[in-house]
Amino acid sequence: MSLQILVNGIATGSVYALIAIGFALVFNILKFSNFSYGATMTVSAFTAYFLVASKGYGLVPTLLVSAIAGAVVSLFGEFVGFRRILLNNSPTTYFFVSSITLATLYEGLVTIKVGASFFRYPDFFSVSTLNFAGTVISKSDIIMFIISAIALGILAFIIQKTRIGRALRAVSFDREAAQLMGINSTLIIQITFVLSGIFAGLAGCFLGIKYTLTPTLGSLVVKGFISSVIGGLGSLVGAVVGAMLLGIAEAICLKIFGSGWATIVTFAIMLLFLLVRPQGIAGSNVQEKA
Amino acid sequence: MALFINVLTQVCITLVAVCGIYVLTGLTGMFSLGSAAFMAIGAYASGLITIKLGLPVIVSFILAILMAVAIGFIIGLPVVKLRRDYISLVTLGFGESIAQLLIQMNYLTGGANGLLGIPRKVKWPIALASAIVSITLVAMFKRSKYGRQCIAVKSDELAAEAMGINSSRIKMIAFLLSCALTAFAGCLYSFYMGYVDPGIFGWKKSADWVIMVFFGGVNSLTGSIFGATILSALPQFMRSLRDYRYVVYAIMVILIINFKPNGLLGEWELTPTHIKETFKKIKNKFNKNSKES
Amino acid sequence: MALLEIKNIYKNFGGIKAINDFSLVANKGEIHGIIGPNGAGKTTIFNTITGIYNADKGEIFLDGKNITKLPQYQITRLGIARTFQNIRLFSGLTVEENILCAFDFMCQYNLVGGLLPTKLRFKEEKRARELCRNYLEIFGMLEYLHEKPENLSYGNQRKIEIARALMCKPKILLLDEPAAGLTPTEVSELTELLKKISKKFGFAILLIEHRLDLVMSICEKIHVLNFGETIAVGTAEEVQNNPKVIEAYLGVEE
Repeated sequence: MSLQILVNGIATGSVYALIAIGFALVFNILKFSNFSYGATMTVSAFTAYFLVASKGYGLVPTLLVSAIAGAVVSLFGEFVGFRRILLNNSPTTYFFVSSITLATLYEGLVTIKVGASFFRYPDFFSVSTLNFAGTVISKSDIIMFIISAIALGILAFIIQKTRIGRALRAVSFDREAAQLMGINSTLIIQITFVLSGIFAGLAGCFLGIKYTLTPTLGSLVVKGFISSVIGGLGSLVGAVVGAMLLGIAEAICLKIFGSGWATIVTFAIMLLFLLVRPQGIAGSNVQEKA
Repeated sequence: MALFINVLTQVCITLVAVCGIYVLTGLTGMFSLGSAAFMAIGAYASGLITIKLGLPVIVSFILAILMAVAIGFIIGLPVVKLRRDYISLVTLGFGESIAQLLIQMNYLTGGANGLLGIPRKVKWPIALASAIVSITLVAMFKRSKYGRQCIAVKSDELAAEAMGINSSRIKMIAFLLSCALTAFAGCLYSFYMGYVDPGIFGWKKSADWVIMVFFGGVNSLTGSIFGATILSALPQFMRSLRDYRYVVYAIMVILIINFKPNGLLGEWELTPTHIKETFKKIKNKFNKNSKES
Repeated sequence: MALLEIKNIYKNFGGIKAINDFSLVANKGEIHGIIGPNGAGKTTIFNTITGIYNADKGEIFLDGKNITKLPQYQITRLGIARTFQNIRLFSGLTVEENILCAFDFMCQYNLVGGLLPTKLRFKEEKRARELCRNYLEIFGMLEYLHEKPENLSYGNQRKIEIARALMCKPKILLLDEPAAGLTPTEVSELTELLKKISKKFGFAILLIEHRLDLVMSICEKIHVLNFGETIAVGTAEEVQNNPKVIEAYLGVEE
């Protein structure tokens, strides 16, 4: 029984990890919380639905289109919402407003297109569950877990081993200094948004598979935020660990309290956690320079 | 006429809430995506107290506001010491939890169907008076030492601390005042509409308020009031455009943020000094123009 | 009992020893200078005294009270005020409001007065405003009362910052490079001003400065730092002739 809970938790956690990592990427480099991220997930999930999934293509094309759509939307957001603010050196509050405005815009556009109706991705898998010694695992969960792991692995490789990754780390540490060292920080920021958008696309698609497609799908982004807070804002590893913990905590709460209360209890846990360890698990609390 | 009075009342209720957002966002530079949840607390708590306990409206208002402030304190406690991002993230999570909670406690709140049968005691004069009182209170607050300290904390927290300002405390005060005002707006709302449902208190509503504040000018109370009035009145008159409302808002705000980052009014306030200065400026411009010609 | 006593403080950032065994005793009315090349740890000392950083080791006493671990705002309330190297006035507030902010923790009205026009509020606000005008007058800046600080010249912004620090009613004033970016006339004005206020209010001043002329002319005691270490302490003449100091500033002769 407890193994079942663990498995469910990890399955949920791996989707949360995708949300959290995309959010943390942008936070890491621009030091603000990108609230348009949730709506980006919605837009890309719907784009994939209308362009590919509803026409009967399989999982892989759907995921690809969703990821590409996420990247495009994210890049658009960077250009429209954040570029000028960054160049003007405006206070971070403007990033915040810009991001929630973009969120409103995306969600509004999706609502105009689909109204308040529900959509479902077609079933991508013929046999939907596997049974291992009493533990039921749905096939989609396994595939999601594998794809999430691959995506995170590729990201880790890019950040740790490539030139782009090094530039990305440099810009996130000190944008101006990086610029002076000949790094094109605008380009790096664009790349970050693209990466973040890809994760938004994947996460949106997975959420669509797990639940239903609605214009408010993006509000599940709150799970990613909570994961980030638990893991430590700005830490990529922390975001993943936080997401797994949140997934498992939720699965346990689900078992004990039932579905409606799980959200509430996990929120309370996060609040307590913040009181005890505000810097998060990774402990890389971003500090303002003195 | 009925439409006009309806719009007036709704605008006034929004103004009360926007006053709260102004204190939090305009003065202190913090963003809450859970303000609407405090409105929900106000709306449900006051409604329930009156329905279930039969207490007079005023008493239920006061109790509801106190309850919102108490909950705000618990939410605020861990976050006021941290970076400002935390308050946005935590309040967003809080907002979603409250929405869930209202649905889950359906024996009390009527669940997703909403709470019905609240006496419709709030008419437009009460709403108007409440808006005026709230605006006055916030204007007084802005000109007091608290308002100054809020702006100092927003501008430079470290320097503010170096001037003996306890920035966590100031942030908490601003947050609680904002909770109280939004809860008050919630009380007014439920007793005006006669029913409340959990659907309208999502993060979208909070985001809507922040957008209103930024539209008119985040540093100016006058601007925020102005922005809120326009943005909440317009869609009421153009019901057919309802779906496009958010899109149109969003585009307007993106334009403003990119090209006029201080909002329409900047720091301008409706006070004698500012009006005098503006007149002087116009006069100077006029004199210059006439000299040139 | 000394007014300010810093006992062997240490502060490391990762592997960098920003402060290595720094001690200082300051009494009422004294002006101490802290000099040293860039990166010597001067500002870090200020940040540690005022509670932005916690010292890794060592203790700081103000009037005999241990303030090492207190939060920043409490240290200010106990009587240590400062200015910043890169001017940090509050944008969004006028000059007057900027200065009033520093007095607000002594302003005696509560939240009721913050929301309603009570008698006490008017009385206290009036007291604060009068005090503010007083200080601005000393600095000859009364005409800028309602200006926005960002519209003022660099030199005037520095003065406003010092006036703001004075408004905290400090026992000790920490000035971080008050002459940086000033013209020579402004520097000599500032020198006179510092002498005047230290005599008038009788507090101790700690001064970080690169302009040695300013330091030499007003400081009774000078601490020379290099890479976090104190390499010399003494009067202007003593320090000027110290071979270690010459080495730190000019390098070793080959």
